[in-house]
Amino acid sequence: MTNMIPGLWMIITSIFLPLIPQYLRQPVMLLSVAASASSLLNGFGVFVEWEILGNTLILYQADNLTLPFALIFHLASVLIIIYAWHNKNLMENMATLAYAGAAIGALHAGDFFSLFIWMESTALTSAFIVFAGNTPSARSSAMRYLIIQVCSGVLLLIGASLMTLQTGNYLLTKLDLSNNFGIFIFLAFGIKAAFPLLNGWLQDSYPESSPTGTVALSAFTTKLAIYALARTFPGVDTLIWIGAIMTVFPVFFAVIENDLRRVLSFSLNNQLGFMVVGIGIGTELSLNGTVAHAFVHIIYKALLFMSMGAVLHRVGTTKASELGGLYKYMPFTTLFCIIGAMSISAFPLFSGFVAKSLIMSALGGQGLILIYFVLFFASAGVLEHSGIKIPYFAFFAHERKMKVQEAPFNMLLAMGIAAFLCIGIGIFPKFLYSILPYSVEYQPYTLDHIVSQLQLLVFAILAFLFLVKFRLYPSEIKSTVLNTDWFYRKMLPGIGKPFFQSLHFITQKIYFILNLLFEFFIGKSKKFANLSYFKVTTPSFAATVLITILFVMLILAVI
Amino acid sequence: MSKNNLKTFAKYFIKIIILISILLVGIDFTFHRHAYFTLEEIYGFPAFFGFVSFIFIVLVGKWLRKILMRKEDYYD
Repeated sequence: MTNMIPGLWMIITSIFLPLIPQYLRQPVMLLSVAASASSLLNGFGVFVEWEILGNTLILYQADNLTLPFALIFHLASVLIIIYAWHNKNLMENMATLAYAGAAIGALHAGDFFSLFIWMESTALTSAFIVFAGNTPSARSSAMRYLIIQVCSGVLLLIGASLMTLQTGNYLLTKLDLSNNFGIFIFLAFGIKAAFPLLNGWLQDSYPESSPTGTVALSAFTTKLAIYALARTFPGVDTLIWIGAIMTVFPVFFAVIENDLRRVLSFSLNNQLGFMVVGIGIGTELSLNGTVAHAFVHIIYKALLFMSMGAVLHRVGTTKASELGGLYKYMPFTTLFCIIGAMSISAFPLFSGFVAKSLIMSALGGQGLILIYFVLFFASAGVLEHSGIKIPYFAFFAHERKMKVQEAPFNMLLAMGIAAFLCIGIGIFPKFLYSILPYSVEYQPYTLDHIVSQLQLLVFAILAFLFLVKFRLYPSEIKSTVLNTDWFYRKMLPGIGKPFFQSLHFITQKIYFILNLLFEFFIGKSKKFANLSYFKVTTPSFAATVLITILFVMLILAVI
Repeated sequence: MSKNNLKTFAKYFIKIIILISILLVGIDFTFHRHAYFTLEEIYGFPAFFGFVSFIFIVLVGKWLRKILMRKEDYYD
């Protein structure tokens, strides 16, 4: 057992899941997570290596950075399985378990090639989760999601290959942006971490999944990218700026988005920004901050997605324009949602406070005044979209004439555990601090800090009340808000379609002339195969073009 | 009946928030609040910053609607 790669039990179980009777599936899934979690007790070191073609791949290593991530990934898997206890969709169950297993496996990879294989596995399995949303828009979103994720994987493979060629090393080590392979790998992780302009896939696909699927998606891919960045690019200054932009720009989109699960996806993006800033600073305190933030974020973000999933499960929509007044029918869900909202807003005594403080202190300690206030500003933004907008529009706002039931027991149980952890970590941060990569003595609860944070939050709430009172707060409108996925969903097809249509027209003419010439010189007509019409708007075509471009890049880079 | 519930709740909520706000700014006068940057140490600065930021975010968001908002079936 000690030499079993963590997560592998979960993947093996997911393969055999169809053979297991329906009523036993969820317990077996839980057992497989427990089996995988036993690896947490193994301590640090290199446990599994694989000799292949004279090279050694490290398949299982553990250290002070993998441990907190592995712990929270296992915990998230348990929450997701409980939350989805009622879910009879076999494909989604299999995909979820394998996805979580692959993400855990990826944490323990010691070289770029095994990391690549694990990351591709998470991409493939999670695409099935989006696919299981089972609406036409979910299916096309899943295709776009898969293409983007595979592109990220190809970039990683290019970077890893170049690195091996140029340095002979392919182990996970600290990199910077001075080499071409560093840039490729940086971009690969940047796509998965939803850097600005590379973020379209996240808000596109997450809200399209099923109530349970979104919770699973929210936990792993992006945090795996945060882990990978923390391992390979700590202290790279560029990340501070990228992270700061990430904390701010999703905030404005979240204000006007109507679908509350999409609001949460923008909010997820903004939270990743805080973590990326922490990686960019690169001190022990800031890296601790990033890991702590990822840890608590997975719990409260899952909690928020679970509460919206419960609403979707019972009401059938999460559009703000159709919701309101649910507190009466779903009191427990309301309570848990508010706990999640207060945690993400970083109220004292909630988990967000004890984690975000580390990053803010690191910024203060380094004297990065501009970034400090950018993140301070973004904190008001977090309160706006996750702290107020989500609970307000779903559970209060207007009385609507709909009668629904409270969420099923298993959903409430999962939300209850997550809410308990949010408050528990907030009140007793010692536990969280003890598993962080570096040992630090840190006291988040000073009077200065509490008063400062409460002033920010309470006056932001006051601003909200003021805006509502004077009818300045934007009302919910059924709409689509354009995001960076617009570039490949509208702009590129808009340019590509006329181009390929005219190309098609020209080739048709050439064939026509060739046919005439054949008839004239040889005397008999030879039918040239008609080029089938390029369907430029199909995902498969777009994928072909994209991946071809990437391979051309690889060849150029090698030359 | 049910409508009144939400309204009375809102009334109490607003009163409580105003009360806490006054307390939080008041407490600033009782001790010197330390922070990393002197800007943050100014009396009531985080309160002012939070209030203004929030309004700025919402108003910019409203303005962004003019540029970014499309019909619900835009991509279909």
